[in-house]
Amino acid sequence: MKRIELDSVSVRFGDVQALDDVTTHLQSGEVLMLVGPNGAGKSTLLKVLLGLLDADTCTLRVDGQPVRVDKKFKSRLGYLPESVAFAESLTGRQVLGFFARARGVAKAQVDVVLARVGLAHAAKRAIRGYSRGMRQRLGLGIAILGDPDLLVLDEPTGGLDQEGLGVLWEVLGEVQQQGRMAILSSHDLTLLERRVDRICLLAGGKVRADASPVAMREMAALPVRVSFNFAGAMRDDISPFTAALDRAGLSTDVLPFTGGLTVCVRPSDLLRLLDVRGQFNGAVERVRVEEPGLDAVYEHLLENGSPAAAATSGRQASPPEVN
Amino acid sequence: MGRVARALIAHELLERARDRWVLVVSLLFGLLAVGTSLYARSAGASADALTGPSLVTLVSLLVPLVGGVLGHDAIVGERERNTLGLLLSLPVARGEVVLAKFVGRAIALAIAIGIGLGAAALVGGGAQTAVLAGLFLPTLGLGAAFLSLGILISTLTSRQVTAASLTVAVWFLFVFFYDLGLLGLLVATDGAIAQDVIAQLVYANPAGLFRVQMMARLAGPEVLEGLGMTVGLPPTWVSAAIWSAWIAVPVGLSALMLTYSRRLR
Repeated sequence: MKRIELDSVSVRFGDVQALDDVTTHLQSGEVLMLVGPNGAGKSTLLKVLLGLLDADTCTLRVDGQPVRVDKKFKSRLGYLPESVAFAESLTGRQVLGFFARARGVAKAQVDVVLARVGLAHAAKRAIRGYSRGMRQRLGLGIAILGDPDLLVLDEPTGGLDQEGLGVLWEVLGEVQQQGRMAILSSHDLTLLERRVDRICLLAGGKVRADASPVAMREMAALPVRVSFNFAGAMRDDISPFTAALDRAGLSTDVLPFTGGLTVCVRPSDLLRLLDVRGQFNGAVERVRVEEPGLDAVYEHLLENGSPAAAATSGRQASPPEVN
Repeated sequence: MGRVARALIAHELLERARDRWVLVVSLLFGLLAVGTSLYARSAGASADALTGPSLVTLVSLLVPLVGGVLGHDAIVGERERNTLGLLLSLPVARGEVVLAKFVGRAIALAIAIGIGLGAAALVGGGAQTAVLAGLFLPTLGLGAAFLSLGILISTLTSRQVTAASLTVAVWFLFVFFYDLGLLGLLVATDGAIAQDVIAQLVYANPAGLFRVQMMARLAGPEVLEGLGMTVGLPPTWVSAAIWSAWIAVPVGLSALMLTYSRRLR
């Protein structure tokens, strides 16, 4: 599989429009993250993709060809449900063994995968003795059995400790390197920002934005905080610098502190700020640039929408993804 | 059955073995069967005359509960563990999942009944072996019918505790209240209802049909007259149809419901 497209997905539950003409896609080697508030439609979209929910309208295409979520399609995907639990009396190896048999994966792979998710030591332990994180790792192990073309991960970071997160990062890295695909839903934006290629922001069942994390920041155009620490005389008197900011039209959001100041500027004003800094080369001891967190970008896009939101939610306009 | 279904059957069996269900039910059957068998021996009675009828009474009370409880968490248990979606994301038809769960659990039930009756046959020996062997398939049929009902309840409910409560309620209904209801009907209508209608109503209940069939087989048809049933047993094909329906219809309905349910969680 090189490309999967979900086109015009609409799902209605009674009076609630869970998904409203949602269109997105996945490319080979891409990790797509679905984000959005509770009830935004993230899990609903994943369930449509898994064939666990019949959409009112949906066109699923694989490499340009319309397909149904049938046995053939399902044989190429691995799934990690949210907060998964397993039969308490079985051991990790027995649970994984069942899924290996069901998927036609060689028995020898069971121990390989257990080791890969860091559960080799607990392979013979009953699930009732597993912590939440261990259960999550076992779920991740089930999802990656047989290296499926498409990984569908619902809240994969839940309960994972640092080591478990490391396993997840490795899995996502392999997906990218091996040209496979992964779609995941999560609230951990900050945690996953650097691990995903694209973010699809859903709210009220509609796509608010669908772009790379970098492009998302550009869309939101939130102010960047730039802090300057001064040396010498300017430590006590920052007025020459503020005057220069005034002249450059950048004085609207200046916060002085002892020995320096912080300027909040829009990304498009950064070059002008660098010009100002250039005028005080000897006096500037240290510069620290703080980009807004992706959480802030998310909040902003959620409240205000992205300039491209209208285009992303409908099929009339071309998708505004930036990769 | 496909690869996933076969793996699921083995998995169901393993789970019943691991959670000691098979062991507990085997012990329960074993104790009841061995106890009845020893009592018959000590009383000097023939196997047909005492062991069989006593066991039939116990089995007709116990097996419906065991079968129902065995099935009650088949689907709702997966739902509560959030693994139903995981299971159905495998390359398998939804109906096959229900069928595989039924078959896997029915095999576990067969093993438990087999061990229990086998232990009694070992202790009782002689003529009792034939009686106990003859009880195996009908007992399994009775258990399978209630297993099937348990799976239907499991498919209909969204919480395991609700499924367990409904299963016990269904057990009470079929094993106790059904006969009481018929009795009440007779009294209320002052015997105006024809004997054959009452008999047909008794045969419509798997627990009732099992009791009557087994009693007639072990103690002779005259025992039915002693019970006031002058109509006689239904023809074999009717009995077979009733048993098949009780076993296949609930599990079939479960498979259909799961197949056509639009939304799963």
